[in-house]
Amino acid sequence: MLDFLAYDFMQRSLLAAAMVGGLCSVIGVFVVLRGLAFVGAGTSHAAFAGVALGYLMGWPPLLLAILFGLATVWITGWVEERGRMKLDVSIGILYTTTMALGILFIGLMKTYNAEVYGYLFGSVLSVTPEELRIIGALSVLVLSLLLLFAKELYFIAFDQEMAEASGVPARQMFFLLLTLVALTVVVSLKTVGAILVFAMILIPASTAYQLTHSLSTLTLYSAFIGITTSVLGVLISAIWDIPSGPAIVLLATALFFTAILFSPKRVRRTGVVHSH
Amino acid sequence: MSPDGIVESVSTGRTPIIRFDHASFGFPGLIALKDISLSIYDGEFVGVIGPNGSGKTTLCRAVLGLLPPVEGHLHIFDCACNELRCHHRAQIGYLPQKGVVDRNFPVTVLETVMMGRYGALGLLKRPGKKDRQIAMEALAQVSMESHKDTALGHLSGGQQQRVFIARALAQQPKVLILDEPTTGLDITMQHNVIELVQHLHDELKLTVLLITHDINMIRSRVDRLVLLKTRLYAAGPPAEVLKPEILHQVYGKELVITEKDLVIVEDYHHHH
Repeated sequence: MLDFLAYDFMQRSLLAAAMVGGLCSVIGVFVVLRGLAFVGAGTSHAAFAGVALGYLMGWPPLLLAILFGLATVWITGWVEERGRMKLDVSIGILYTTTMALGILFIGLMKTYNAEVYGYLFGSVLSVTPEELRIIGALSVLVLSLLLLFAKELYFIAFDQEMAEASGVPARQMFFLLLTLVALTVVVSLKTVGAILVFAMILIPASTAYQLTHSLSTLTLYSAFIGITTSVLGVLISAIWDIPSGPAIVLLATALFFTAILFSPKRVRRTGVVHSH
Repeated sequence: MSPDGIVESVSTGRTPIIRFDHASFGFPGLIALKDISLSIYDGEFVGVIGPNGSGKTTLCRAVLGLLPPVEGHLHIFDCACNELRCHHRAQIGYLPQKGVVDRNFPVTVLETVMMGRYGALGLLKRPGKKDRQIAMEALAQVSMESHKDTALGHLSGGQQQRVFIARALAQQPKVLILDEPTTGLDITMQHNVIELVQHLHDELKLTVLLITHDINMIRSRVDRLVLLKTRLYAAGPPAEVLKPEILHQVYGKELVITEKDLVIVEDYHHHH
């Protein structure tokens, strides 16, 4: 039944899924704690618009995806810092605008391009060796930066103003986090697709959040959940011949609801309500 | 230096570590603090009082270097506030007003206190044994060392406040700024926290800036009171500042003075 594991493409996609799952779930911890969930969603659509423009003009799609993604997170961060506009409004506008651009670029293409749709819905089984190398390199880059600045990133996630007040370069760290989110989204486009990458950033970290009160344990749980659900999702999709993106995300969602049911925090929260 | 009618008596011979010189803060059109001239000296215990919206929190943020003056000057440790570097900031311990921090954040007590080390450590350096030791000493200062592995969200309001004070202490600061540290605590806890602050001031020779609306709680403890309402109305020993004619100017009808000369400020707790 598991004969397919011998195929090169299968090994490539399992490796890609594991890397993307691990990367998304680790950065997801910071995204969830800092309250940047929708930034992930906005960025993925912007990155997709970049991919579409790349295919339209014959430019490298991943490079444009990075440019579009970075532009979106930086504008978002700048708007949040200024406090001029509510974050949900600014992201909502960027989100839909970039999606409109993406659809426009696809519409301007003279021929139907299946590869573009691969970036929208994810096609982990068609990951090429070259793409695998790019995913690997960007994953190493993002994870090393996360590791190097972990203590500052935790602190700004906890309380950015407090961090700044106590001598941490908080603004720079905030923009670093936004940049890493954008890179993560781009890395994940090919495997889970623009629509579902958001789920991979959000769900494992939120699941782990239900289970622990410690920052380090939270990160470990989240990475474990992210990698496991991604790899299992790909296996399920290969065995039953269903699309890989939804398989991964639905598996993670199922785990999330299970965690909510058995969450020690949930039990406690009810206790607090009663005590008042 | 002081505008007419302002009481400002300062102890001479000591070094000011914070010096406001005709400084205004806020945004053009929305000035939160206007024309403040005030020196705070090394080792002083200063209480900052004033009605809601009088600029008390703005004063905190200014001293932390988070808000450069729109007019005038502010010097902290002999350094212009807009040139304040991270390592200067690390020397100021800060307890923000309650509610700023997410209490359900997954973090243990020791992890919270360790964050106090991050600014001084600088980028790319991991906290080591020594930092852990400093953090544990800070926890001992606030008598919370037995809770080091407890989740922060599991503690009572007063205990959390102690942990946040420990985090500020872990910075090994020269100055400790506390913004309404007793808000939302019961009376016993309020006294505990204020006593702890007093103890830290005496023991560690810290310069303390304590912002509060509860004048009675601190009047007998502080060296000087600073009375604010957008402008600086008075700065001096409590006996000089807490005079009916000065207080009425600032608080108006909200002020009731009882026979025993107790100052009660009917601060209606305008919670938003």
